[in-house]
Amino acid sequence: MIVSNKLMTSVGSAALMAALSISSGVAMAQDGPLRGNIRVVIGSTSTGGDTYQNSSIVVDQLAEKLGLNMKVDAVGASSAFRTLDRDSRGNTLMIFHDQSYLGYLYGVEGYDNIFEKYTVGPTIAINPGNAYLVPKDSPYETLDDIIAAVGSGETVRVAIQPGGVSEIGFSALKNAIAIEHPGQEDNLVAVNTGSQSDKNQQLFDGQADVINGSVQANEQYTRLPEDDQKAMRFVWLTARQDTIEQAPEEGLGQTTREQLLEYVEPNVNVTMGNDENFTFDKEFFFLYNKDMDPAIVEQIDEALAEIYEEGEIQEIQKSAFFIPDFKPSDEASTYLADKMVRYEEIINNIK
Amino acid sequence: MDFLFLLDITFFLLAGLGALIGIIFGAIPGMTATMAVAVCLPLTYALGLHHGLALLLGLYVGGISGGMVPAVLLNIPGTPSSITTTFDGYPMAQKGEGEKALKICVVASVVGGLISAAVLFLFAPLLADFSIKFSYVEKFLIILLALSVIASLSSSMLIGIFSGVIGIWLSLIGDYSISDGGNGKTRLMFDFMEPYLFEGFSLLPVLIGIFGISTILLEAEKGAKSGLVNERIKISRGGGFSLSVFNGRLTNLVRSSFIGTFVGMLPGVGGSAASVLAYTQEKNLTRDSSQMGKGAPQGLIASESANNALTGGALIPLLSLGIPGDSTTAVLIGAFTLQGIQVGPLFIPENTETWYVMMTALVFANIVMFFLMFYAIKYIAKVVMVPKHILFPIIVMMCVVGAYAINYGIMFDVWTLLIFGILGYLVQKIGLEVAPLIIGFILGSQAEIYFVKSLESFGTYSIFFTRSPIAVVLWGLIVASVMFAIVMGFKSRARQKMELTQVTGSTPTASGKGHDTN
Repeated sequence: MIVSNKLMTSVGSAALMAALSISSGVAMAQDGPLRGNIRVVIGSTSTGGDTYQNSSIVVDQLAEKLGLNMKVDAVGASSAFRTLDRDSRGNTLMIFHDQSYLGYLYGVEGYDNIFEKYTVGPTIAINPGNAYLVPKDSPYETLDDIIAAVGSGETVRVAIQPGGVSEIGFSALKNAIAIEHPGQEDNLVAVNTGSQSDKNQQLFDGQADVINGSVQANEQYTRLPEDDQKAMRFVWLTARQDTIEQAPEEGLGQTTREQLLEYVEPNVNVTMGNDENFTFDKEFFFLYNKDMDPAIVEQIDEALAEIYEEGEIQEIQKSAFFIPDFKPSDEASTYLADKMVRYEEIINNIK
Repeated sequence: MDFLFLLDITFFLLAGLGALIGIIFGAIPGMTATMAVAVCLPLTYALGLHHGLALLLGLYVGGISGGMVPAVLLNIPGTPSSITTTFDGYPMAQKGEGEKALKICVVASVVGGLISAAVLFLFAPLLADFSIKFSYVEKFLIILLALSVIASLSSSMLIGIFSGVIGIWLSLIGDYSISDGGNGKTRLMFDFMEPYLFEGFSLLPVLIGIFGISTILLEAEKGAKSGLVNERIKISRGGGFSLSVFNGRLTNLVRSSFIGTFVGMLPGVGGSAASVLAYTQEKNLTRDSSQMGKGAPQGLIASESANNALTGGALIPLLSLGIPGDSTTAVLIGAFTLQGIQVGPLFIPENTETWYVMMTALVFANIVMFFLMFYAIKYIAKVVMVPKHILFPIIVMMCVVGAYAINYGIMFDVWTLLIFGILGYLVQKIGLEVAPLIIGFILGSQAEIYFVKSLESFGTYSIFFTRSPIAVVLWGLIVASVMFAIVMGFKSRARQKMELTQVTGSTPTASGKGHDTN
């Protein structure tokens, strides 16, 4: 009798789990080459971050369009790459952003050249929110103040997560200082940290003067009163002006698009020399196992093209402060390869 | 009071259902509250934010609570934070007091859960401001304080410390992760191990292996016959729970609940540190701790009230800073993300309805958990009556499935289970102690990260003493904890000596194993 209790518990839990997985997306007739349950691993361990949010929006629509059961798994970069390596059937796909090649450029362990090792899939969206912030009572009013201060020999510490999107802005800033104030660039010091909460904590503790953050994660902090230890202020958004202009007018939270435009070029300039300014759009795209059936690449391209044509996904993305940006695989691959070359130069300049 | 319109019958059903599924997840070794929340996260799309939160908070509360069941009955911590529950729960179950032990755990859990919910409701923004005063230095010292339990946990302090150090050493295998601000390089392994051990040994397979599999191996060694004899004794003893167990233990209950809430609200300090810390403090502060680790209700009260208090605590930084307090709330934040709601310092004032809805769900889930478990326990507790030759294969199977599932299908996790099962068995055979080893394993990697980060940030060792008044207080607690362990060590040695002389005086043939039977 006791055994049957135990058995009932296990059977019950199995039934529940089955019910849950069914309700999250019924697998219907599967005509295309993509079959079975599809796991979409992402390069971030956080379900609170932009990668998860963005991937969920796209995967949800894709699952519905293809009639497949698809689930996003926040496993983190190294784990995601290794999971993708193991599965060439197409049941594991990956979504990540520019970090996937920036990590390689910065020589971070566990990152390979994605253009050689994987098939680069379609781009899906841009997060225009990559930002740099200072404490609200900071003596630096603008990014120009920071550049001038470093140029005059002051040490300014910037909290970043090494080897990625958060470092590329730092590298560009350092490069700009090297151009405007040669020899002073080493006064801009990187403080290597991990998650967003670690970076915030560095600012609260006075261990960093500037931190990398995002409009999404830090907007509420910018609305706190100045005497609050947690209060912050944006000084720079790395996105292009064009990109921010595509954001909804109401912006995010209570910060409008108009206000955000104050922190991008041409109001904030980070020179790359030759009258060119540095900008950086954080783009999200699919990555596939190299040996995966090309028919699947095509199937996903087509499905996404249809989804973007219908237009509903753009609304969802925009309401979550993402800029829709669909490019089919071939186009995305060339575009991203060019993008990598562009940023490789900046990284090489400051080496 | 507008939020009352949002609470319909579905809301309460979902919170209750969440608690039930959570308990099942928590009770199956290898499945955790975090996993339960992760599995159900996409459902929040369909359910909407408020109904989704009801389900997820139910899962959270249930998942943390369910861990007590295998911890008490099978010596397998169902979740990492129920590890200290095994210390007293399993000895009680072996004495035939499994039902009593579980009921104590359930009452402690609901009290812990409700106290932390009250703290969350009344003081969230205030406490969030306090929690950011804990920099890397203070967090390192908290972990160190929890580690100091190693000294008082074992019968011989030196062996305890040695076992703890082995645990810490094992926890350092793998890479120093880039997401922790490290360099991503692996250490303490040969190159060929890298594909398996890049991220080190997974916590849960290690826990289940070292507690569960090794217990089964030790039991198997005794053979089937003696097992049957033991069984009869167990049935005859029965339950015997009454609320009077809590007489004189209220301070412990309340203190442990506050410790749990406090540890929960410190982002990055893992959930298991809460119950370990509460257990340590009970051991240090109580008048008579000699029975702790041998089947004392006070150990269960400390452990279970603290780990359930974690729930409210971990929601404090989540809702007032946008920073999750533990691994489960780190997944829970996804529910907001998926609905496009930013959680940050202005979340509560700007989303009062959601805030009240969450509080209702949290309190309701705790109450449902209490009734579900309290009345189901007398049936669940009979698991120990299943003949061991039937029970053990089922447990091993569940452990293997759980280990395989924990990282969504990594076979090496099953080998980890086996490796640590055998290691746990050998460790006990050669006289080392499992509990300090596993505490070292759980806390070691966190201690390392905060230690290195403190040095990176401040550049001097003296910062550990001079950083803040909080650091000084923590050092005081650490010294007191260690001193206490030393004094208790001397006392128990003196007592043992006295007992030994008495025993050898009356029965010269008695062996030194006498202390095992009391």
